[in-house]
Amino acid sequence: MTISFAHRHVLEDHIIGFEMKPNAHHLSVSRRPTIVTVLAHAEAEEDVQLALDLLEDVSIRSCGPCEWLAVSQSSSPEALLRLLRAIPGSSAFDQSDGRVLMQISGPDVRRILAKCVGIDLHADVFAVGASGNMLIAHVAGNLARSGPDSFEIIVPRSYAGTVFEELKEMGREFALTAAFG
Amino acid sequence: MSSFRLSSGGIVNRGNAISYTFDGKAMRGFEGDTLASALLANGEMLVGRSFKYHRPRGIVTAGAAEPNALVTIGEGARREPNTRATVAELYDGLTAASQNRWPSLRYDIGSVNGLLSPFLSAGFYYKTFMWPKAFWEKLYEPLIRRAAGLGRIVTEADPDRYEKAWAHCDLLVVGAGPTGLMAALAAGRAGARVILAHEDFRFGGSLLCEKLNIGGVPADEFARAIVDELVSLPNVTLMARTTVFGWYDDMVFGAVEKVQKHVARPSADLPVERLWRIVAKRAILASGAEERPLVFGGNDRPGVMMAEGARIYLNRYGVAIGRKVAVFTNGGSGYGLARDLMAAGVEVTALIDPRRDSGDAVPEGLRVLRGAGVIATTGHLSLKGMIAERSGYEEAIDCDALAMSGGWSPIVHLLCQRGAKPVWSDEKQAFLAPDFGSAFVAAGSAAGLAALSECLKDGADKAIALCRDLGFAAYEMDMPEVEGAYDPAFASLWYMPGSRGKAFVDFQNDVTVADLALSQREAFGHVEHTKRYTTAGMATDQGKLGNVNAIGIIAGMRGMSPADIGTTTFRPFYTPVSFGALAGTARGEHSRPVRRSPLHGWAAKNGAVFVESGLWHRSSWFPREGEKTWREAVDREVKTVRSSAGLCDVSTLGKIEIFGAGAGEFLNRVYSNNFLKLPVGKARYGLMLREDGIVYDDGTTSRLSENHYVLTTTTAYAAEVMAHLEFAAQTLFPHLDVRFASSSDQWAQMSLAGPKARIILQRLVEDDLSNAAFPFLAAREVTLKGGLAARLFRISFSGELAYELAVPAGYGEAVADAIMEAGQGDGICAYGVEALNVLRIEKGHVTHNELEGRTTADDVGLGRMMAMQKPDFIGKRLSTRFGLTAADRLQMVGLKPVEADGEIKAGAHLLKENAKPSMINDQGFVSSACYSPTLGSHIALAMLKSGRERFGEKIVVWDALRGQELLAEVCAPVFVDPDNLKLHV
Repeated sequence: MTISFAHRHVLEDHIIGFEMKPNAHHLSVSRRPTIVTVLAHAEAEEDVQLALDLLEDVSIRSCGPCEWLAVSQSSSPEALLRLLRAIPGSSAFDQSDGRVLMQISGPDVRRILAKCVGIDLHADVFAVGASGNMLIAHVAGNLARSGPDSFEIIVPRSYAGTVFEELKEMGREFALTAAFG
Repeated sequence: MSSFRLSSGGIVNRGNAISYTFDGKAMRGFEGDTLASALLANGEMLVGRSFKYHRPRGIVTAGAAEPNALVTIGEGARREPNTRATVAELYDGLTAASQNRWPSLRYDIGSVNGLLSPFLSAGFYYKTFMWPKAFWEKLYEPLIRRAAGLGRIVTEADPDRYEKAWAHCDLLVVGAGPTGLMAALAAGRAGARVILAHEDFRFGGSLLCEKLNIGGVPADEFARAIVDELVSLPNVTLMARTTVFGWYDDMVFGAVEKVQKHVARPSADLPVERLWRIVAKRAILASGAEERPLVFGGNDRPGVMMAEGARIYLNRYGVAIGRKVAVFTNGGSGYGLARDLMAAGVEVTALIDPRRDSGDAVPEGLRVLRGAGVIATTGHLSLKGMIAERSGYEEAIDCDALAMSGGWSPIVHLLCQRGAKPVWSDEKQAFLAPDFGSAFVAAGSAAGLAALSECLKDGADKAIALCRDLGFAAYEMDMPEVEGAYDPAFASLWYMPGSRGKAFVDFQNDVTVADLALSQREAFGHVEHTKRYTTAGMATDQGKLGNVNAIGIIAGMRGMSPADIGTTTFRPFYTPVSFGALAGTARGEHSRPVRRSPLHGWAAKNGAVFVESGLWHRSSWFPREGEKTWREAVDREVKTVRSSAGLCDVSTLGKIEIFGAGAGEFLNRVYSNNFLKLPVGKARYGLMLREDGIVYDDGTTSRLSENHYVLTTTTAYAAEVMAHLEFAAQTLFPHLDVRFASSSDQWAQMSLAGPKARIILQRLVEDDLSNAAFPFLAAREVTLKGGLAARLFRISFSGELAYELAVPAGYGEAVADAIMEAGQGDGICAYGVEALNVLRIEKGHVTHNELEGRTTADDVGLGRMMAMQKPDFIGKRLSTRFGLTAADRLQMVGLKPVEADGEIKAGAHLLKENAKPSMINDQGFVSSACYSPTLGSHIALAMLKSGRERFGEKIVVWDALRGQELLAEVCAPVFVDPDNLKLHV
């Protein structure tokens, strides 16, 4: 007997049936990104960081000392884990189902995020490529700047509904739309 | 009824008339008016009744310090009481109502209090309503509250939205008057990120009401030019209608922005108010100075107003405060006002100056009485005249408005909010801000400067210095020439001797000079005591207008300097902030985050009733048709698990992935029991202690490979255990090679329990699940049919043959559905945390009901988990303390009611038979209780003194809360399968 199990995105109930044509300010939720937690063991932090930076099509998010999230839209979790586990001094495990990835963008995106995070997102302080763990709408998550007017948010799956609804609430001023993307 | 709008003048938009109502009367104003200026334009000087004596009161100021003109604005649920008309921006359709009067503002019954005033002196509450004590709460206080007071609270839900947001800058400039504008301009040109916050809807401050030229242009045009340049600078953020109300640690400022308080119908997509937390590297306080009233007899009569207020109404709004205006001033401000009034064609009947001489320019035709003072006023609902006195000669002077100026007090509130007190300056005759170094400084008139030219320069200079301090190249600015300024110097006059009638110090709280004197006589002499005794400086205006006068008068009474009296304590908020703004969006469903399990959808479609458990919404029980009570559903679920199989969502347990060659050693130190020899592919129950030897948390940890473990925590302690492990790894055992991170959200985890669990699960799993191949405590990765990789743990909380299956969260619902389908023929059911709780009580397993921060491992019967032969583990040392090993400690036992239908409630206490019900005779308490469908009676777990020695004893379960007592038998805490035969089949 073979069973095929359906995979369900945690935000389906929040999005399906409410899809809208993207406005200038838009929240795009990734369907099946690959997200892996990478840990560096003692003395190996710099080497692991170096190795991570060399990976292609993988963006690296800083989560604190010796800890990162590796994010890929193209590799499978298994393929990425194989790559990461080959890095000496590192450990890695899959978080693809445990984290939800959203991209928020628009000319006034910083004004929306100013209602959600307490850190300074000015380009001189939080440049494109910067990332860090912080409270996002009262939930511990990871925020990264993916462009001048776009940011990526990674939050734990169990909180994703709350964060999604909070972002939409804070984006009302700018007619923020949301959809899977 | 004598204030009026001049035919020209002011910077209101006379082309745009605005309709509004006051106490039901339709009125008109102009765009750019405040409610107060529009009321004055309509001759409405009388706007309220005073707090205690219900005396008629008029508008006194044109700004945030207004003590009298408190009105209720808006209708229905949008009504907002205690709004200062002087800062309320006029909009079309605004409705305002006066407060604290009945039946009307003009004929107020409460004004009889004025006749009773001999009995209503300071401290009268304390003296009058002392006896009988019980009457205070039920009778006196409600009566006083109704009679005294402010507006009525709105009890309907607020229909509007509020928000909170963060802002960051190099320099925050508080206040956009001449000083603030120059500071912002200097810093903005230097390239610093500047936030300029201003409480008014129009930038400029005093520049909007001064008749003078700066750099060859009128002051308001000068202000507009600076604002235009600031708007063009991308590094400058202008925040109008924004009051910075608090200064907090780490240079964080609180501010409230009135986003839609000036519109009749707020947009639902915008907040009406936004609370800002502004993080600033440096800040400049450019909040200006407050003009001090003069304290003389009848100084509260409607028509008596601050000179600065009169100047603002005249020059900014084109409104004259009367047709015959008198001026009482001890400094240049009054002369400047007289000049402007006369230039606008308003009659100024006399200027009274208590100083013998001064260098102030006297406008031609103005009658000046030097060395004189005002000792009384006449009129009732409005001013009719005043009595001037000089060397014993009294003269009645007709006037319908009296402008007063008693000098200036720098507005230093923000700089004094973090403990430091203002410092008295004899030279400036004012309290100045304390010195905090260069992070946050006062500038301009907030720093005690008087002349406009000095303020402009000070704002620019201080901003330049702060910018250089931050590494910006800031250049000196050319200072424009100021023409037509008057000298605002003054000589303090705290109290007009010889005053007749009540001389008010605090208008809002009806505090007079006599009250201050009484307070001194009755030994409430310290300024903080005087404040509480007289209520001077309390309520919505917090003494902005009256406090410095009160200090000056107390100093005079006691023959001291104001420096020796000092000020009361400054605290946030500078002006009142609505609860809506403080709450922001955190209302209703947004009040706190919600956590949902990956099996939430599965539980919902199986009919689960959810319970909030921390932030989680957990499935509690799954009622079926015909089941009338939760107990019926739970009983069925328990019986089904014991006889067949049940599926329960356990995804909420915390999961931590632990890696490294030192991981085993690390676990061996954070757990009290042995973990060094845990084989790969095995799970083990672990007990964690605090340093003090008390149990912290429990859970199972499995070794998935040589250097990879997965640790589980209880749902409640997932975050705490993570922090505990971080602390241990980083500070206690930094040399161990161990790294870990949470994977709690990655896995949907379900417990399949019951004698038929294996048969059902085997239908879905490729791997061999026989007892030999997958024995009790096996923990391995398995493959589900179809190829999905999963983790399987053979562990049991119910005491039945049980498995916990973990699959990636997104597949959780589908896998749970498949298990239910596979078990349908075997009678499988979904069960919730209530049934889980019954199953674990029957089996004698502990939760945080028992591990509640006071119990040791031995107390709960887990003494064997203390591997004392280990060199060390967290909690080992202190676990051997005398108190933790005493023989009479509470120990966990089971309880069964002696009468079969007896019901034991958790929280009940235990007494020896025949002992008097009293906590003195307390023997312990019930920690967990339930009805056991397996045993057919209620059972309980309890903590009982020396409990394990007392099996078989009859004990009284005393529930004082519900007034119940029943007899129970003490027994072993394991009610089902004490020999664990079911676990190993």
